[in-house]
Amino acid sequence: MNIFFVLVKKEIKELLTLQVILSIAAMLLIFQVIGKSVGSQNKSTAAHNGVVTLDLDRSAVSRRLAAALAEAGYEIRPSRAANIEAAMASPEHAAENSFILIPEGLERTINSGKKSRVEFYSRFKKNASGLGPVLAASRTRKAAAVVSGELSYYVLERRVPGVAPAFLRNPAPALEFAVVDGHAEEVPLAQVLAFIQSQTYFFPVAVFFIVILSAQMIMTSVAGEKENKTLETLLSSPIDRRLLVMSKLAASAVIAAALSAAYMLGMRSFMSGITAETTLGAAAGVSAAGPALAKLGLLISPQGYFLVGLSVLFCILCALSIAFILGVLSEDLKSIQAMMTPLMMALMLSYLLPIFIDLSSANLGIKFLLYAIPFTHAFMAPQNMMMGNTAQVLWGIAYQAAVFTVCVVYAARLFSGEALLTMRLKFGRKR
Amino acid sequence: MNAVEIRGLVKKYADFEAVSGLTFDVREGEIFALVGPNGVGKSTTLKTIATILSPSSGSVAVFGLDTAREAHGVREIISYLPEEAGAYKNLTGREYLDFMALVFLRDKQKAAAAVAFGSELSGLKDRLEDKVKTYSKGMTRKLLLARAVMVKPKLAILDEPTSGLDIVNGYEIRKTIKQLAAGGMTFLISSHNMSEIEFLSGRIGVINKGKLLACDTPAALKTRFTTDDLEEVFIKLTQ
Ligand SMILES: Nc1ncnc2c1ncn2[C@@H]1O[C@H](COP(=O)(O)OP(=O)(O)O)[C@@H](O)[C@H]1O
Ligand SMILES: [Mg+2]
Repeated sequence: MNIFFVLVKKEIKELLTLQVILSIAAMLLIFQVIGKSVGSQNKSTAAHNGVVTLDLDRSAVSRRLAAALAEAGYEIRPSRAANIEAAMASPEHAAENSFILIPEGLERTINSGKKSRVEFYSRFKKNASGLGPVLAASRTRKAAAVVSGELSYYVLERRVPGVAPAFLRNPAPALEFAVVDGHAEEVPLAQVLAFIQSQTYFFPVAVFFIVILSAQMIMTSVAGEKENKTLETLLSSPIDRRLLVMSKLAASAVIAAALSAAYMLGMRSFMSGITAETTLGAAAGVSAAGPALAKLGLLISPQGYFLVGLSVLFCILCALSIAFILGVLSEDLKSIQAMMTPLMMALMLSYLLPIFIDLSSANLGIKFLLYAIPFTHAFMAPQNMMMGNTAQVLWGIAYQAAVFTVCVVYAARLFSGEALLTMRLKFGRKR
Repeated sequence: MNAVEIRGLVKKYADFEAVSGLTFDVREGEIFALVGPNGVGKSTTLKTIATILSPSSGSVAVFGLDTAREAHGVREIISYLPEEAGAYKNLTGREYLDFMALVFLRDKQKAAAAVAFGSELSGLKDRLEDKVKTYSKGMTRKLLLARAVMVKPKLAILDEPTSGLDIVNGYEIRKTIKQLAAGGMTFLISSHNMSEIEFLSGRIGVINKGKLLACDTPAALKTRFTTDDLEEVFIKLTQ
């Protein structure tokens, strides 16, 4: 009979209450439902590609503009109103948010070599929420670009006959290159950005969540045993006290891993629902750009992912061992929230700062502070692997392992002495 | 051999002296009670004997083993029930007994025998299959007492085993202790209630402000102070 296994089993039974399981199931469900409904709403907004055009010119040019818009995928809803106010007020177009006004005399003015104008209206409804109005506005802006392009083609055809208007408009189109480590590769920069962002934003959120959850769990378990005096009972038993420490660490790490898997699943269905339109497009672009990204060395290899995983594992272990010590020092279950604060602060710092500042050019003090927090190394691991800084990831793991070892040794020392029964951190008040 | 030998025990918390020079013995097979009001150092003394606190000075020996130097050996033969202790709330009573038996005995067969004895002793019957969080105070205390004695320790250290319980539950627990003592188990208990302890214990140690004022059988103490009331003995001792 392995006593360590018995201890871990009991920890998991104590921690994994019906409430915890239910709240995880609820979280998954909520993610799913919100993601689905937001996604379907976005899809319907996206599918909805109507623009209301009020053509007061009724010329060859205005017909050409309508054709260009239709070609670009817009659904033209012609309005027969006398002016744009009436067009927007008409109940027929109550659901529409993009309006184009082609003024009378557009063709005549342009042909005479003078500047004219086309007006674009994007309606923001006061009671509307969500992404709908934003998508409508960006649709209006894209329509404006289509119209402006078509008008300049028209003018070029008339003024410079015999030369392709596309050449005149952009005689030397841009070719974009990404350069990594001196190696250049032709690839649209937008796709590189989308790829890097997908790796640097979503990953830390998950790590952040796991760390907080498992830290809270182990603190609850230790402080609960203190409050219940079950700890005193265990300490008076012949069991090796280091086993008590290790079993608590192991149990909360196991539960944290399961929880984070559940969380990642929920998060993924949520994000894929919400960003179906915007990011999925970019993701498709990324997979198209895959070979170029691979040549640049930006795609993380299986060994790279292994190192990232190792860094995350040590990040969790560090948080667990620190939380364990904080739990030993807390007087009862009620003081856990206060004891969590320093850990939360450190996590926030190491999570948020690298997003907002460029560490490679940050000042030495900030750099030192960030690298001293063991969690930073895990948050930065994917980016470092992507950029080929394997050595930095390895040093990070070594540092995290050192912090973890120190914390576990200290926790075991706390457990083998009587300090955990007599020592208490007091907040401001003295007996 | 004495079950417990305490010589000049001093225990300080930071700069506060909770126990100031206790000396007494507990004989094998007896029920010895430390009595005194709240906050005089009873729990501190018991925790020191249970090896979870170490003496600031002086010494404690359990069946000849020093609690500081031979803590592991002491832990093999004692069982300690902290005051106002609880059990793991999400385990059932039986799961709790199973777990504690394995922790103390580290052997599946011995543990199973201990749990069988403990379940019987607890008197909880079917309720053992319910979670501990559904138990009343009296039920929890019976479960904890059963847990403490089911491994048949040579010395059972019980801190205020009956405090806060109603008459029936308190009576049942005292009866169980007496039965087990008759079978040869040594008990060291504490209480702040003089009269209830009279029924239970062979000898009592009266303690106040970390010092032992007297140590004898209740009958001998009452004769010495010419009174029928053990509480009066304490009042006279502290004057
Ligand atoms: N962890 C501790 N830190 C500081 N003082 C303590 C601690 N535990 C107990 N004390 C103090 O020591 C004294 C004796 O406590 P205790 O042994 O629990 O008394 P009793 O069990 O007789 O009620 C009390 O004054 C108490 O306040
Ligand atoms: Mg006490």
